[in-house]
Amino acid sequence: MIEFFEANKDILLFTLAAGLKVLVFMGGIMGFAALLTLAERKVSALMQDRVGPNRASVFGFAFNGLFHPIADAIKMIMKEDFVPGRAEKLLFTLAPFFALVPVLALFAVIPFGDYVMVFGYQLDLQIADLPLGLFLVLALSGMAIYGVFLAGWASKNNFALLGAMRGAAQMVSYEVVLGLTLVGLLMIYGSANLQDMVRAQGRLLFGAVPAWGVVLQPFAFILFLIAAIAENKRTPFDLVEGESEIIGYFMEYSSMRFAAFMFAEFVEIILVSMLAATLFFGGWQVPYLYETGFIFPGGSALPLDHYLVSALQVGSFSVKTVFFSWFLLVVRWTLPRFRFDQLMGLCWKALLPLALLNILLTGAALVALGKL
Amino acid sequence: MISVKKVNNRPLNFLERIYLWEIGRGLLVTSRHFFVNLFNPKKIVTVSYPEQRLPLPGAAGQRTRHRLKVRADGSPKCVACFMCQTACPAYCIRIEAAEYPDNTVEKYPAVFDIDLSRCVMCGMCVEACPEDAISMDTGEIPGGAGDRGELLMTRGDLLRNLPGEPSVKGAANRLANEYLEGKE
Amino acid sequence: MPKLTIDGKSIEVAKGTTVLEAAAKLGVYIPRYCYHPSLSISGNCRMCLVEVEKAPKLLTACSTEAAEGMVVRTDSEKVKAARRDVLEYLLINHPLDCPICDQAGECGLQDYYMEYSLKKSRFAAADKVTRQKRRALGPHLVLDNERCILCTRCVRFCSEVTKTSELEVMERADHSFIDLKEGKALDNDYSMNIADLCPVGAWTSRDFRFKQRVWFLKKTPTVCLGCATGCLAEAQHNENVIYRVMPRPNAETNTWLCDRGRLAYKAVTAGDRLAKGFIKNGLIDLEPALREAATRIDEAKGAVAVLGSPWLSIEDNAALAALAIEAVKTENFCFDFPAEQGIKDGILINKDAAPNTAGVKLVKAARGGISLEELSRRLLAGQIKVVITEARAAGFIKEALKAAAPRLITFATNRGEIPQGAYATLPYASYFETPGTFVNYQGLKRRTEPAVTPPEGVKPLWGLVNKLAAYSGDSLHLNSSEDALKGVKL
Repeated sequence: MIEFFEANKDILLFTLAAGLKVLVFMGGIMGFAALLTLAERKVSALMQDRVGPNRASVFGFAFNGLFHPIADAIKMIMKEDFVPGRAEKLLFTLAPFFALVPVLALFAVIPFGDYVMVFGYQLDLQIADLPLGLFLVLALSGMAIYGVFLAGWASKNNFALLGAMRGAAQMVSYEVVLGLTLVGLLMIYGSANLQDMVRAQGRLLFGAVPAWGVVLQPFAFILFLIAAIAENKRTPFDLVEGESEIIGYFMEYSSMRFAAFMFAEFVEIILVSMLAATLFFGGWQVPYLYETGFIFPGGSALPLDHYLVSALQVGSFSVKTVFFSWFLLVVRWTLPRFRFDQLMGLCWKALLPLALLNILLTGAALVALGKL
Repeated sequence: MISVKKVNNRPLNFLERIYLWEIGRGLLVTSRHFFVNLFNPKKIVTVSYPEQRLPLPGAAGQRTRHRLKVRADGSPKCVACFMCQTACPAYCIRIEAAEYPDNTVEKYPAVFDIDLSRCVMCGMCVEACPEDAISMDTGEIPGGAGDRGELLMTRGDLLRNLPGEPSVKGAANRLANEYLEGKE
Repeated sequence: MPKLTIDGKSIEVAKGTTVLEAAAKLGVYIPRYCYHPSLSISGNCRMCLVEVEKAPKLLTACSTEAAEGMVVRTDSEKVKAARRDVLEYLLINHPLDCPICDQAGECGLQDYYMEYSLKKSRFAAADKVTRQKRRALGPHLVLDNERCILCTRCVRFCSEVTKTSELEVMERADHSFIDLKEGKALDNDYSMNIADLCPVGAWTSRDFRFKQRVWFLKKTPTVCLGCATGCLAEAQHNENVIYRVMPRPNAETNTWLCDRGRLAYKAVTAGDRLAKGFIKNGLIDLEPALREAATRIDEAKGAVAVLGSPWLSIEDNAALAALAIEAVKTENFCFDFPAEQGIKDGILINKDAAPNTAGVKLVKAARGGISLEELSRRLLAGQIKVVITEARAAGFIKEALKAAAPRLITFATNRGEIPQGAYATLPYASYFETPGTFVNYQGLKRRTEPAVTPPEGVKPLWGLVNKLAAYSGDSLHLNSSEDALKGVKL
């Protein structure tokens, strides 16, 4: 027994660490997504000079609505799980999983910190350090289309099917733009490993400006944000679901199946926020913070403990994620919805040429600077 | 002559046509509201009814929950004439009349129920009352209830005067008051 | 045959006809309080004043006989002014307590004020002469002198119709009021007619008092089943409850209604109203009661007697006949009730207490049957083991029933009707709840209409008979009261 542990120490430790990271990171994301359901309503309320939900209470303590996600969850579980009589039972059941699982799997490649030394063991703050992490992101987010289309198809409902076709068209289209906007970054960083890309953003340009993606590729960032929101099916691109007004692909869904679709949307918000932070805003990087502490451009330094540095880095990543999540909520409650022709027009006639132009310009700049 | 109003549809300039600038301005407006309300929630217009209530305007036409007025001696001013029940368009009033053995005003309501779950708060009962016995000036707004029984106002629930108001109006009321004066 | 002109229309009337009656023939309505077609003419209310050409003053239409060449105007300004002033005068001392007055809604003062006056009183409310308010007079009435306009209809009714003369106008002029004569009590058999007669709220019925407002009442024509007179009446009801019965005045039979007939409706909602079957001494649901009765009838096949009833309608008697002939297949059935008929008290009350003695004869004529004596004889001879009849009709063969003691199956509406020793009793819908045809002592056909619905589970008698037959195995196919009438000539 002991021999076995001795012989396989590395792999066991790796498994243990990975399991631990999955638990903590995924738990955090799930909790954050639940809070986002509340935040969505609270943010919209504050933007519209309202109070927002504040009634759900436990033993008379409402904490200004903090228990609403729990109340919602209980409500969703208690509701009747209705399956239309003529629906494809298997696909109807599978669709919510296709919507939720790929999105959750994506978080594996996102680095939420550099590394931390635990009992002399280096623990990478990333679940799976894959060389082609960025491609995994694109590949798995493509899987989400199955969720949409299966839901519409399996419902055996004409309107759900129409919604699903619109949704699939939208997601396929914007996926192209999403991929192309990231090509510029790949060209600059020369790696598809997200951890490498974040580390590369720790450099300074001209000795003072952090070399974040948004500084190097501002144009790509805007295109990425638009495409990501569209891919996420949120306002102003939410005509696929159009919760209250248009008939969407999950119109036949109820109870926890419906909740799975809605929850996937909130998880996607976090994903988009994390991707935006990782690719364009330096991920876990804090400007001028290095492994030993702060070293400011003037030359002055502030040495910091290793654990404090790690904490600052994880905190930095969290703050960036929260900011983008908030930003996506604000976008949703500010902008009106696109029409379908406008949606497709924007994608194929504006975003796609601009993304291609961005690649061209990036390439030209790289050649001109002799970095290639 | 048909008056023509010219709308100045000027063409969008470049900044407006790429939207991004305008979108940014829009986001600024909503974010400003968000942050102002987050740190200084004075501008929030929501009223947390029913814990928090706005004062009612108190206008003459205001109609709130009904009450039955009582005479100085505590007997109901209502003489069970059924005018309110007749006038009620929602059929929410149910009266059963009874007879006083010795009072000058011989009739009184043994049962006077208003079913608030049917009431449409039209105030016709108040208009119809010849004795000024029913009014809708309690300032209470009937709200929701756990079950229908809670919305059934019986005579006991309805009978009360507002502070400092033993009213003496009404023809039969006059007789009752004279009678009471003679008694005292 | 004087010929006169009223409001430009001329008419020829019999000698002795009053102007008011002549006007009524022309369709001209003249308001009145003291005038009543069935009472003597008093002419004291002055409401019917009309203008007659060449007459120096307005004349009372009710007491002025029509004369040749008379030219009458009922719509001139002078007449309108007179009506306004008479009303103002009548209302000077009226307490205006309409909210607590039962007459409100059918009050002559209210109606005429709205129609002919609409004038504000010039007299202060404080100056009104007050009089004695309500007091109970007699078992059925309440008198409120303050509301009285002294039309004396009540006084005349008591002296002319019932000839008991309990009432009188006391004192004189401004002090006059209606009161009982010394030593009298207002307890004649027709006293409640006074409440109908009274054009204002002075006389009100104690039974109806404060029970319901008259404008809520719906009216259904019915027949009083108190005796063989068969007065036409009207059930007034609201929300499935009868509140009072009023006479339907008609030339053939009645203008009034006796107090007993008026109060007969109370049995419909009485506490002892049967809604379930009754076996021996216990209440039991209708279906098992029917099954039990059917079993007993089957057991005694060949020894069953069916007795009709003069308290039941022709339809229900015919259904009983059908039961006897077609289902039970017995010869022991009797639809023959000898009764002396005729008005007992000179007004309305008949010597025959059953309403349909004449009607049952029609059933006998159509379906035959034995006589009452023969039935008693067979009972005493022990040939009959089961008797089916209506509860009150069992009284006709009381002695024989007592002696022979067969199983007695009766139909009853109220528990109080059930005769002693009844084995099973089945509840049936009263004639306020189901239509029925009756023939009164004059041979006139009278039909009741259902005013209210019977209590839950209670069926018309023909329906019970149909079920009883079905349980015995022979269907009579009675689906309506008309089905039962098959073969009976009305």
